[in-house]
Amino acid sequence: MNKKIRRLGLFMLLCYSALFVRLNWLQINEKSAYDDNPLNRREVLRDFAKPRGTIESVDGVVLAQSIPSTDKYELQRVYPKADLFAHVTGSFSLYFGSAGVEQEYNDILAGQTTKQSLKSFSDLFVDRTNVGDVTLTLDSVVQQVAKDALGTRDGSVVALDPRTGGIYAMWSHPSYDPNLLANHDFATASAARTFLNNIPSKPLLAASYQERYFPGSTFKLVTATAGLESGKVTVTQPVYPTETQYTPPLTTRPIGNFDGERCGGTLPEILRVSCNTAFARMAVDVGPVQMVKTAEGFGFNQRVPIDLPSPARSVYPPLAAFDRNTPKLAQTGFGQNDVQATPLQMGLVAATVANNGVMLVPHVLFEARDSDGELLEKPVPRVWQTPMTPATAAILRDAMIGVVQGGTGTKAQIPGVTVAGKTGTAQTDTNPPSSHAWFVAFAPAENPRVAVAVLVKGVPGVSEVTGGQLAAPIAKAVIQAVLSRPDPLPNR
Amino acid sequence: MRRNTELGLMVMAVAVTASAYTLGALGTTATIPANIGPFLGAVIGLFLLAHLACRRYAKGADGVLLPLAALLNGIGYVFIARLDKKVAGLQATWTFIGVGAFIATLVLVRRTRDLSRWKWTFALVGLLILLLPLIPGLGYGVDARLWVRVGGLTFQPGEVAKLLLAIFLAAYLSERRELLAVGRKFGPFEIPEGRDLFPLLFAWGASLIIMIGQKDLGSSLLFFALFLVMVWVATERASFLAIGLALFAAGAYFAYHQFQHVRTRVTIWLDPWKYYNGKGYQLVESSFSMAWGGLTGTGIGRGHPDRVPAVKTDFILSAIGEELGLIGTAAIVIAYLLMVGAGLRIALRTEDPFSKLLATGLTTILGIQAFIIIGGVTRLVPLTGVTLPFVSYGGSSLIANYVLVALLLRISHETAVRAGEVER
Repeated sequence: MNKKIRRLGLFMLLCYSALFVRLNWLQINEKSAYDDNPLNRREVLRDFAKPRGTIESVDGVVLAQSIPSTDKYELQRVYPKADLFAHVTGSFSLYFGSAGVEQEYNDILAGQTTKQSLKSFSDLFVDRTNVGDVTLTLDSVVQQVAKDALGTRDGSVVALDPRTGGIYAMWSHPSYDPNLLANHDFATASAARTFLNNIPSKPLLAASYQERYFPGSTFKLVTATAGLESGKVTVTQPVYPTETQYTPPLTTRPIGNFDGERCGGTLPEILRVSCNTAFARMAVDVGPVQMVKTAEGFGFNQRVPIDLPSPARSVYPPLAAFDRNTPKLAQTGFGQNDVQATPLQMGLVAATVANNGVMLVPHVLFEARDSDGELLEKPVPRVWQTPMTPATAAILRDAMIGVVQGGTGTKAQIPGVTVAGKTGTAQTDTNPPSSHAWFVAFAPAENPRVAVAVLVKGVPGVSEVTGGQLAAPIAKAVIQAVLSRPDPLPNR
Repeated sequence: MRRNTELGLMVMAVAVTASAYTLGALGTTATIPANIGPFLGAVIGLFLLAHLACRRYAKGADGVLLPLAALLNGIGYVFIARLDKKVAGLQATWTFIGVGAFIATLVLVRRTRDLSRWKWTFALVGLLILLLPLIPGLGYGVDARLWVRVGGLTFQPGEVAKLLLAIFLAAYLSERRELLAVGRKFGPFEIPEGRDLFPLLFAWGASLIIMIGQKDLGSSLLFFALFLVMVWVATERASFLAIGLALFAAGAYFAYHQFQHVRTRVTIWLDPWKYYNGKGYQLVESSFSMAWGGLTGTGIGRGHPDRVPAVKTDFILSAIGEELGLIGTAAIVIAYLLMVGAGLRIALRTEDPFSKLLATGLTTILGIQAFIIIGGVTRLVPLTGVTLPFVSYGGSSLIANYVLVALLLRISHETAVRAGEVER
């Protein structure tokens, strides 16, 4: 029998060798594939059980922090300002991943950057994690003013510093409460998510930078830049004919002004009254090459390099689209047809005029520091685009001052402060007539501290005064709020 | 001499258990456990008692088996305590009872041969207790009906039945192995006389049918392997092995086509990912768990093995893999391999056919059971649920395995006495 017992031993040895090989395969060879499998919750769980830095507004209001919880994760991410900063901070969800700043600056917040890791390593025998705290450029007071001014209407408000690219306020209505998604109870969190996903106005998406709309007449700033930069347009020339409608070449369908209005004249005049026929002519005169060049010079058709995840691209049609299609080119001249922009993009257009033609990279990060208060990251102003010369910017600034002082944007006037602005009304439906009301502005015009874009979605009516009536007062309130706050660049 | 080896190894097993316990508490609550003193005392006391029982009743026995059992038991306890504080106390109680059963076996079974006299009783009791879970109101189970509940206590008859049937087989086969080895020619095969073969086939068939009826695939596989190995070793006839394997293949084919739960096991073995939201969840989570551990593991208390269903019992290796890594799982695998080696060495050394067969059978139970569940959890073979001997949570398993080791030590001691290595 001993021979068989020895064979049995050999067989067992083979079985156990197979186990050992299999364990190596599973735990070493396949490790990274299993760890990265989307079904595997362990990476999320790891981040959840760890301390995480806070997110604060520039004025020191806590927007997101981790507090002790009684469940197995030990920490619960909370958002004290609820919906106010949801589209900026995002939420740190156990089940749906994170969004916003929580995603963008996850490494800093979780203490995973090389710098923080090295520091933690030297603290090997001290029990702590070197998490990073993030301070945003957003100001809680301005953000609250933006929210209150827009009220219950769907739309968005973006305010930024043209000198740095720092965002003061970025509000979109509807918003959501990130605390709902951050809930550790799966049923509660997924019910909230399903509910939010089913709302037609998409509260989970930030209208300010993740969705795009017809910019309407605010786009005339781009057309005017194209005209000025091409040399075909100056402050005095040409004088566009005063007319109620204009029929571009290659079509019989005329383009009309709002309410059959008669308008025309030089650049400051047509911008002041927002004359569609004149800007349609300008786009055709300038030609598709210059129009595309200038639009893309403003960042259209490109990813906005903002430090937030998944921004939408603003779009202007490609050159090929205008081949034997002058009517299309004419319509883009006043921001209709296939032109679409995010409110952030139009805010950047206003900021570029304000900053002498230089468009800076927009950002929400003011600075990030580790738990010792040591600086980890602080954005410096960086040029993204230079779509126009300072001379062009000066002409546009004066024209925009005219819009607020005696044109379509008078509702944005502020006593003692020169405001430069441009209204927009983008028709979205004809029956019943409805449109997006826009207003972009900057102030003080002589030494700008703030540029603003306001969008009020889907309001009744299509008159050019719509933008001036509905959106301009919101811009005014936000500008006043920014100017009442301490200047982040006091030395200038 | 061997006892001193045993004592040294026991000290190491206790040291490993105590440090793992401390690390586990540090990993979960970042404090040294308040009860580390009493815990250490209890562990030392318990295993010292087992060791002293060996010194008194089996001084010539192999010195490796008991420390390995203690090590596996200790690591298992640490993980059960880390996974579920509520049942840790119960497992501690079961460990006491298990060690008690170990000592009682050494005390009561003074001569292995005496056991063979009771072979029919053992066979009958084994089959009867296997039937217990089928009694309404007494038996229960989720997927497989293999538990008996009396009052608040639950009991898995299969764990005890495997020992009883191993004793029966060893006794029966040692008496009739010559008769079974020869027989009438039947084509290429020689078939033994019916009166020799029948009791064997009856015991084999009955236990298999009962367990298949209870949907307990793991135990069915274990019993099948046990019968096959013992008949093969006893008769030294490869044809039995061939017939057995052919029967197994036919049975597996039949079961696959006839039983949905067998088919499910194969499907989720081949592709658990597809059934993540259903039957495949446990295997996928187990793979995630072990892969997450990598080479060194997360540290005890720092992983998430609680995501794996049944992690305290059948899937406890996933928890070890996650928190101790490949180093931990390899250690477990090596520990079983060493136990198998020690058990087969005992079988080789003993002269008495009954003892030889019994040692072979007991070692087969231990080795195959550990292989079935480790292979199942790691998806080397289709998953069939059995406990991981000494490591998994569960009283019947622990007691049965301690008795198993005690019987091996008793056989080992007798061989040493016969060889004149030690006095009786």
